[in-house]
Amino acid sequence: MTTAAEKATTIFRRPRAETGFWSWLTTVDHKKIGILYGYTAFIFFVIGGAEALLLRIHLASAESNVLSAADYNGLFTTHGLTMIFLVVMPMSAAFMNYLLPLMIGARDVAFPRLNALSYWIFLFGGIFLYSGLLFSAVAPPLGVVPGIPGNLDPSDARSFGALPDGGWFMYQPNAAQEFSPSLAIDFAALGLQILGVASLISAVNFIVTFFNLRAKGMRLLRVPVFIWMTVVVAFLLLFSLPIIAIALFMVTFDRQFGTLFFDATAGGDPILWQHLFWLFGHPEVYILILPAMGIVSEIIPVFSRKPLFGYAAVVFAGAGIAFLGFGVWAHHMFSSGITTVAQVGFGLTTMTIAIPTGVKIFNWMGTMWLGRLQLKTPMWFAIGFLTMFTIGGLSGVTHAVVPSDWQQTDTYYIVAHFHYVLFGGAIFGLFGGLYYWFPKFSGRMMNDRLGKVHFWLWMIGFNMTFAPMHWLGLQGMIRRTWRYDPSLETWNRIVTVGAFIIAIGLLVFIFNFRTSKRRGEIAGMDPWDARTLEWSIPNPTPAFNFAEVPIVHGLDEFWHQKYTEDKTGRPIRKPEADEQVARLEDIGINPPEPVHLPNPSYFPIVMAAGLPLIAYGIIFHRSIAGKALIVLGVVIALAALIGWGSEPLEEAH
Amino acid sequence: MTAAAHEAQSPHQDLHESTGVENRKLAMWAFLSSEFLFFGALITNYLLYVGREFASGPKPSEIYDIPFTSVSSFVLLMSSLTMVLAHNALSRGDQGATRTWLLATAMLGSVFLAGQVFEFTEFITLENMTLATNPSASAFYVLTGFHGTHVAIGVIMLLSLFGLSKRMGGLTNRQFLNLELVGLYWHFVDIIWIVIFTVVYLLTAVPGAS
Amino acid sequence: MADEHHVAHPTPAQYVKIAIGLAVLTAIEVGLFYLNDAVQLGWINTAALLILAFLKFVIVVGWYMHIRYEKAAVSRFFTFGFALAFSLYAVVLISFGVLAVSR
Repeated sequence: MTTAAEKATTIFRRPRAETGFWSWLTTVDHKKIGILYGYTAFIFFVIGGAEALLLRIHLASAESNVLSAADYNGLFTTHGLTMIFLVVMPMSAAFMNYLLPLMIGARDVAFPRLNALSYWIFLFGGIFLYSGLLFSAVAPPLGVVPGIPGNLDPSDARSFGALPDGGWFMYQPNAAQEFSPSLAIDFAALGLQILGVASLISAVNFIVTFFNLRAKGMRLLRVPVFIWMTVVVAFLLLFSLPIIAIALFMVTFDRQFGTLFFDATAGGDPILWQHLFWLFGHPEVYILILPAMGIVSEIIPVFSRKPLFGYAAVVFAGAGIAFLGFGVWAHHMFSSGITTVAQVGFGLTTMTIAIPTGVKIFNWMGTMWLGRLQLKTPMWFAIGFLTMFTIGGLSGVTHAVVPSDWQQTDTYYIVAHFHYVLFGGAIFGLFGGLYYWFPKFSGRMMNDRLGKVHFWLWMIGFNMTFAPMHWLGLQGMIRRTWRYDPSLETWNRIVTVGAFIIAIGLLVFIFNFRTSKRRGEIAGMDPWDARTLEWSIPNPTPAFNFAEVPIVHGLDEFWHQKYTEDKTGRPIRKPEADEQVARLEDIGINPPEPVHLPNPSYFPIVMAAGLPLIAYGIIFHRSIAGKALIVLGVVIALAALIGWGSEPLEEAH
Repeated sequence: MTAAAHEAQSPHQDLHESTGVENRKLAMWAFLSSEFLFFGALITNYLLYVGREFASGPKPSEIYDIPFTSVSSFVLLMSSLTMVLAHNALSRGDQGATRTWLLATAMLGSVFLAGQVFEFTEFITLENMTLATNPSASAFYVLTGFHGTHVAIGVIMLLSLFGLSKRMGGLTNRQFLNLELVGLYWHFVDIIWIVIFTVVYLLTAVPGAS
Repeated sequence: MADEHHVAHPTPAQYVKIAIGLAVLTAIEVGLFYLNDAVQLGWINTAALLILAFLKFVIVVGWYMHIRYEKAAVSRFFTFGFALAFSLYAVVLISFGVLAVSR
């Protein structure tokens, strides 16, 4: 194309591998990137789960010494950060990446290489966050590589290095240099900063893809609900990440460069941190749950054999939740001394969120009502989502009542609430999606019987783990302490047993996944008799997605290619449906004309590698090595940028 | 943008529902709209602390040099003019004028940055106000520092375009969009400074101090 | 299609006139600042300065960033971002008592 491009290709030969290790490092295919997100998130899920089990083993007795207090702090904080930023967000991103182009009838996202960049930044950010483990825990102030301190209280002994220990919301001044002198908070603050960059790039990419790449005829109110939720989440990320970026910069500056933002003794205001954190933190909650709501909105109609009840209402309710979600942040701060007017105001806005949420729940129930329910594994998980999320939503409404919230703040009641929405909600929804779309990327079916075993183990284990936390909390069991009143021991033991049942369920899933991927029943193109475009192409998805870019005539396009209705609204399979499906599968496997795809590229992974180097450099910026790392990181990122700019997306054909 | 460039960007355009705004341009606008939240947090931070009393001083609002900042604000404002002139020159296909205006914009941006370096140096050496003097000073430096970083990135992008044009003997249709995106970014940085100049400098400066 | 709204873009001479306008607005701002130094104008000064800054802001966005000539999607994005930032941070500052709603 251009001379610069030719030059660049003579210096760096472009990657050509289509399979094997290198193909994964250089891929710009949204499907492969989605799979990478999925596996990475799953590994972090196992790590975060192991942390939870350690915590539960410790809490099985009231005066246990399994963990030191410092390790306990490190583990519960890391468990929270992992599950939020390294599990639920990327697992949602896995589905978004894989499905966004497929469900809107596109061949890729708008910016394939930026998409790869997002993934690598996310991966390196996660590794960076955990790399605090390698740095001995208690550092002398300000970033000097620490030695082993002599005169510490034994409860401060750490065996887990610098794991962040200030809670996932890192309240100031508890997480300031004075009270948290190790490098732990620095790793968390900079690690989240890196993860934020990844999410911001994804958000922009998905927004542009959504607005500019929908198949002809797919008007806005014909877009599948999951894709609607994807773009709503992208907007939430777009507008909330800059806020946390500033807040985290302020923490880093306070800890590393001597600014006084949160130092009350110098006139700083720690409440400012709470505002900025929750301005981001509450939209973040919807970033976690809306993708699962989208997934459930796809699963329930397929397995109820009915269109989604009130499609437009579900879409608008999702957007409404997101919009209102920006106006409720101070309900996390009812006990922080904000004014009565603010407490009443934020209590009221919080209650209004129950309205669109209720709309969605009733619409899902309306979809199932009088449907011919097919209780396959994905549907069980969707039902699990619906029931557990409703319980979590209702306990959430109790937090909107200010005096009630004063009693619940910082107790296990809160822990119960958010696990009902994020585990019972988000994780159940995401695993439902995994069972549902497994054939899409593997070409095979998951074993349904084992899937149901998994579901029931989780349903029982989950409720054993988190239901008792409601009454433990109301009886006064405080969050985030490694000791509790011995009178609460019995229920805590039950909780710990429940946690292990969840772990057994996960093992069943892993076994099922591995065996099904190798030997599962071959799925065919449309195993669920589904409704949306991603099932109108073969399984596993061909590299080019659509041999012919589809033209859309209505909501649930693929369904209408197969079915018509009789006078009572009952679906009738068209006589030519089987022929149509066979035709689509055939052209998907043998495309009539060759399809040009974006070429793989080295530059996304190289550029992403620059960011953690800069972050290490900032942590150790007082030493020569630290300064050198910053320079090195910037040089690597810039070099990759130049290479990126001079390399065309697609080679001339 | 010419129709030809449009074709080259997205050969499958006619197969899709679309806003009609080119992908990369839409991405830039989305990114810029999120930057409001970024700078908004920094300005909020400054406004929170500017009215408070601290044990150690001075606060930035007590030592602003309004005539100096007015001049550097004016310089940045005029760089938006040279930027649109570069855009206009390229749309007429005048490569020489494009390069001149790109360089002029980068120069004006650099003058603004030099002014900021001078201002910081004065505040630190003459007025003894550092990052760690009080929260108001911290907020001031971090706000204007992040803005300055944005300007610096803009200058680098302008110089890259200038260098590219010099080496290749002109910017192609494909790069016209790049210039337009750099322009959008540049103007955005300018409007943020318009807000900072008024809200942070003029409205909070202590009367009689300058 | 791309060319038709191209025609509407201002000419260099118009760009220069806009820049003169921006410069004049800035001069008025600085003048107002010194006037306020001499005679306390109170809220009038605040309001006038904010309006002037907003005018400059709108002129740069509308004409230099060409948002007037763009598709509606673009200005919706941009306005939403600005409005959201403005309202969220205003509430934060009000809750700190920095922007007093009533005195």
